[in-house]
Amino acid sequence: MANVTLEHITKRYEDVTAVDDMNLDIEDGEFVTFVGPSGCGKSTTMETIAGLTLPTEGTIEIGGRDVTDLPPKDRGISMVFQNIALFPHMDVYDNISFGLRLREYDQEEIDRRVEEAADIVQLEGMMDRMPEEMSGGQRQRVAIARAIVRNPDVFLMDEPLANLDAKLRVHMRTELQRLHKELDTTIIYVTHDQAEAMTMSDRIAVIDSGQLQQIDPPLVCYNEPTNLFVAGFIGSPSMNFVEGEVTADGFDAEHVTVDFDPDAYDVSVGDEVTLGIRPEDVYLADGVESVEDPSAVVDAWTDVLEPMGNEVFVYLKLAQDAELRIDERDSDQLLMSVDPDVEVEEDGEIDVVLDRSRVHLFETGSGDAIVHGLD
Amino acid sequence: MLGGLFGRSERDPDDAESDGEQRSRPGGEQRLRTDGGATASASAGTDASILTRLRRSEFVESIPFWGPPAVLVGIFVYGAVAWNLVISLIGWDGLGQPEYTDFSLAAYEQLLVDPSFTSAFWNTLILLLVFTVLSLAVGLLLAILIDRGIRFENTFRTIYLLPMSLSFVVTAIFWAWMYNPRIGLINTALRGVGLDVLTTAWLSNPDVKLFAIIFALMWQFSGYCMVVYLAGLRAIPRDQYEAARIDGASTLRVYLRVIIPQLGASTMSAAVVLMVFALKAFDFLFVLFGVNPGQSADILSVMMYRVAFDRLQWSYGAAVATVLFAMALSVIGPYLYAQYRRGEL
Repeated sequence: MANVTLEHITKRYEDVTAVDDMNLDIEDGEFVTFVGPSGCGKSTTMETIAGLTLPTEGTIEIGGRDVTDLPPKDRGISMVFQNIALFPHMDVYDNISFGLRLREYDQEEIDRRVEEAADIVQLEGMMDRMPEEMSGGQRQRVAIARAIVRNPDVFLMDEPLANLDAKLRVHMRTELQRLHKELDTTIIYVTHDQAEAMTMSDRIAVIDSGQLQQIDPPLVCYNEPTNLFVAGFIGSPSMNFVEGEVTADGFDAEHVTVDFDPDAYDVSVGDEVTLGIRPEDVYLADGVESVEDPSAVVDAWTDVLEPMGNEVFVYLKLAQDAELRIDERDSDQLLMSVDPDVEVEEDGEIDVVLDRSRVHLFETGSGDAIVHGLD
Repeated sequence: MLGGLFGRSERDPDDAESDGEQRSRPGGEQRLRTDGGATASASAGTDASILTRLRRSEFVESIPFWGPPAVLVGIFVYGAVAWNLVISLIGWDGLGQPEYTDFSLAAYEQLLVDPSFTSAFWNTLILLLVFTVLSLAVGLLLAILIDRGIRFENTFRTIYLLPMSLSFVVTAIFWAWMYNPRIGLINTALRGVGLDVLTTAWLSNPDVKLFAIIFALMWQFSGYCMVVYLAGLRAIPRDQYEAARIDGASTLRVYLRVIIPQLGASTMSAAVVLMVFALKAFDFLFVLFGVNPGQSADILSVMMYRVAFDRLQWSYGAAVATVLFAMALSVIGPYLYAQYRRGEL
């Protein structure tokens, strides 16, 4: 058990900066997830913690001990890899006990610890199976057992569920949470899947372009993203963004206006700002009683409907001739989620409102958040 | 009968379901089967339907594809092997025509008591084993070094593989110069560092002759082993190294306990190629020594040529060839079986 501290960690490869001045303080027993798009530096950060890569600058402390220059085996860590990385020529017992045997523990101790680890991940009775005879989920369990058997201070998990099928992934997610509760060890987890990050972590570290964007509990990242990147990355489907500017009456864009008093916030008239609103905070203008503080009505045209069962995603165009772009929505589009029993027609004209208390404003230039929720 | 033989692929599913089908529809209309045996209603035009079936069967349709090569290989490889076996039994010597009348094992009995066969046999075995093991070891070492992400990796790979692309005639002459006792590079180098005691006539001294040859062949073939191992190493994901390192293995142990045990398939395929080559390492010795390398370096392939084409003892030569063939089979056989077991054949 140990806390992990990263101070000014920078990793540069010839002309690329993979990690840029990363400062992190992970507490003992915490489950922290590094999340970000591929190539954002989250895996490199983890590799520097593991000791598989040496940072160009900065120091790493594990349990108060400076481990920056120590080899991986002396850092008190163990790691689970994306490709599982079991040794294919060894059976389950040999795989799990590999590290213990290298350290020349006595046989009784090895047996006891292997049994204990296998017990935790529910692998009893599979000790002499070869990896190729096992399913993906079982192999993943062996990999986890191999990690816990050494009783590490810190677990590092590099996208351990990425190669599993969707159903198994959700199952293993729960298992990992159970494991964390049971072991109460610090876990650092890397993923590009924001849903994994949201469901499992105590805190999420959102990383982009080698820089830490925000580290906060999942719901804080969701409700109070520090900038446009976090706002767009956390949450699925992602937040709507509308670019506009601040006027004396509040926010004004081509198709959307939201009233507020600029003096009450840290903005001044003429500022270029981006309004952010999550799909579930957009409502139909009829029957808007459920929203205490609706914005002015926005005219919209429905385009595609995506019924999900428990909700329906409605893609809205704010100008009739706007072109729908699903993955990268423009300022003239909104995504709204409605209850499945609400009748919405495809290609119809409807009026919607935004929940003012859930509106986010960001500086368009820097992307920094200005305000979360208008009074 | 023919339908059963040739129409198998189309018939099988039909057969499988016909039982159940008939049971489930007792007394129902008779099902007309277009293949796989005659039914009452198909009694007319049976000849025509057999022809049609023949024409449609996969076996017949595929003949143009596998037929010609099968015939060519059958005659010129397996036919020749069989003919060689026959010749070894008929006691054919000299310039006359072979007479296929008396068959005896005389040639093989002669092999057992012929000291030159005994030494050639042992030399062949030693060459086979030592050359294979050494080449594999050197190749593995080179492959690991190159796989560590060194500079000029491609250049080194080419340099190491280059000897493989040279003809044995060229390399034999090249090594004859290297081993030249007076002006050869090896003795000159040894004298240069004051190791005069080690200098010797490498290709005449019966004690070292065979090993000098093995060394030269190893020089030529370790590059090939390197390429095979390099491919094997590249197939092992980086994760394996990292997992082993995190578990606390030193670089040496990572290779000994994690990486090298995973190179079994590479070792096997490279070893088979090397061993088969070692069995027929004829050109190299022939260029160096002609038909008579002397007892300490004689191997079966050279002996076979000498006995048959120099002394014209055709049957005896054929018997040596048969032994060589049996040795090759004992190398290839287990390999093919292992491949078959793994479902790769």
